[in-house]
Amino acid sequence: MYLASYLEPHDICIETKFTNKHEVYAHLVEKICHFHKLPIADNRILEMVISREEESTTAFPSGLAIPHIRLEGFQDTVIAMCFLKNPIDFGGQQISWVTLIITNKTSSKVYLNIVAALLKLSKNNEAMMAIHSLPDGHAVFNYIKKMGVEIKKDICIADIMITNPITINPDALLSELAVIMHGKDVSMVPVTDAANNYLGEVCILDFLKVGVPDYLMMLDNLNFVSTFEPLEHLFEKQDVMKVKEIMKSDKLVLKPETSIIETVFEMMQHRERHLSVVDKGKLVGVVSAMDVFKKVIRA
Amino acid sequence: MLHMILALVIFLITYVLIMTEWINKMTAALLGGFIAVTVGLVHQDKALHGVDWNVIFLLIGMMMVMSVLKDTGIFQYIAIKTAKFAKAKPLRIMLLMFMVTAFVSAMLDNVTTVMMLVPIALLIANELKISPIPFIITMAIASNIGGTATMLGDPPNILIGSATDYSFMDFIYNLTPITIIITVSSLGITYLLYRKGMTVTNENRARLMDYKEANLIKNKKLLILSLTVVGIMLITFMLQEVLHLEVASIAMVAGLILMIINNRKRVDKVLMNDIDWGTLFFFVGLFMIVESLIETGVIELVSNKLIQTFGSDVRVTSIVILWFSGIFSAIVDNVPFVTTMIPLIQGMEGHFTREAMNPIWWSLALGACLGGNGTLIGASANIVSIGIAHRNGFHISFKDFTKIGVIFTLNSLVIATIYVWFRYF
Repeated sequence: MYLASYLEPHDICIETKFTNKHEVYAHLVEKICHFHKLPIADNRILEMVISREEESTTAFPSGLAIPHIRLEGFQDTVIAMCFLKNPIDFGGQQISWVTLIITNKTSSKVYLNIVAALLKLSKNNEAMMAIHSLPDGHAVFNYIKKMGVEIKKDICIADIMITNPITINPDALLSELAVIMHGKDVSMVPVTDAANNYLGEVCILDFLKVGVPDYLMMLDNLNFVSTFEPLEHLFEKQDVMKVKEIMKSDKLVLKPETSIIETVFEMMQHRERHLSVVDKGKLVGVVSAMDVFKKVIRA
Repeated sequence: MLHMILALVIFLITYVLIMTEWINKMTAALLGGFIAVTVGLVHQDKALHGVDWNVIFLLIGMMMVMSVLKDTGIFQYIAIKTAKFAKAKPLRIMLLMFMVTAFVSAMLDNVTTVMMLVPIALLIANELKISPIPFIITMAIASNIGGTATMLGDPPNILIGSATDYSFMDFIYNLTPITIIITVSSLGITYLLYRKGMTVTNENRARLMDYKEANLIKNKKLLILSLTVVGIMLITFMLQEVLHLEVASIAMVAGLILMIINNRKRVDKVLMNDIDWGTLFFFVGLFMIVESLIETGVIELVSNKLIQTFGSDVRVTSIVILWFSGIFSAIVDNVPFVTTMIPLIQGMEGHFTREAMNPIWWSLALGACLGGNGTLIGASANIVSIGIAHRNGFHISFKDFTKIGVIFTLNSLVIATIYVWFRYF
């Protein structure tokens, strides 16, 4: 199935005039309500889109935002797109393409596949440049149709992973790791060499473990101790120990084409909430259980 | 004759594999046992008949009892309480921990004992900012000494108790007094070895004194119930002769009841994690191999040779067995050794009176249990303790352990010799 099959030329526009996301939303909702028969009024739909956006961002790193709602009793999936000549800030991300999707409450599969196709297209720099230089929606429609963008059957991990994740060198000191974990608010950092080869990963628990000796782990219960000096003095060790001393190099990694179900399965099997995505030995991304949850389950 | 040689070869290869741990020892023992069956040295029925199920079920029962007792937190509570009772003074803690370890290990398996208590010693040493190494070495030694005291304390005693008609109380009469004497003299040695050099600051001492050990007892009701069941089990063990019960039945009933009391929904977990199937099948394999030695006549041959050599002098035979077992157990695992020695000694029974056999059996028990302290690899408790230390960054070499262990072993064996000499002759 082709993406173009879900589109009509009049659902697509190229604009320069918008300065914030609410203006874009209002425009897209108006367009959809004008050309399609929806069970509820346009102002109500706009409210739903905005409140959904407030729950969590719909922006993706590739410059695409996909606001969407699921309507009770609506037995279809409709799409409207707006390409922005002047990118708009979406909570820190520069967005140049907004696609509004209105779908029903049950068929999440079609929706997810459309999202996957859109994401793939948004990562194709050449195509994006070409689209942005087109004069109007009609031309964009023809371009997409000619490109033959397919709605593929399954969304994969490469579509939702964080690309270019923060990494650390194996020879870095634990103090540097602490700065990264604290500053970037991440609990797992992949370890890579200068050529971006994946070597392993360190998680926050590996770090804390430096202050918790093995013998404590052998006790069933530690409720009789209220303070423990090695843990309190962890900061003394962080300037002498290196990342490679605590990193795990035997962790499960995923391939970019891994399916969502396999990712969830592996996360549960190995009780890991963060997994590195590795392609031919090179780190290409990181995926967390929260990414899966936010971008797929709650999408 | 060919069968005899073949049986001996299988036995020796298995022994070497167990000693070197080139393959897992359960695998080695089972493989030896079933190869002996496959090549036709002994029929499978006969070989399996050689398995002493009383020993296997006693071990299973006690493993269940231990898994519940461990859950109650009582032993770690006692260890912390002891350290506080010693006013956090290192030498006092060391001496008291020696006694506690010996006492606990008299009732529980030595390895379980050190796995529970050595982490506590590491924690205490860390708080007091002193080296834990002397604590770890002396506790491993204490566990081997304490294990000698009762029938349940160490696998050699379980094996001997099951193979002979000695009751639980016979072990207490014959081995507990000497174990107490050896423990007291070992405390003296510990004092002499470590009396100097351990000082702690008031601040560090205060940290230890602040421990709230009462929190270790998570469930008081479970503790009281468990201790009641264990108490009844011990009384039943003591009345074993009057009640005409085998030890395995008593331990199994107690273990199963305790598991149900503790948490009947966790039984599957206990079966998976706390029952040491590796050890149990190791025993099964050993029994099968020894059965092949009996079947082919090797045991009878060696028994007769022993009698020819020592004549009917029970005193010499006992002392030789004591020292031979002591030295041998210092080098190899005492379980395969005792499993092999039992039929050998049984083979001598025809030549001696029932009464005269007593010192021989007790010498075997004393030598096999106490000899384990001779070297680092002499007993599983030593290997496990040193392994825990190693994982926490404290490296104890074979030499480090052995030079301390030898002192304790020689002391133990000399005292045991005097004891056997004067008590039985």
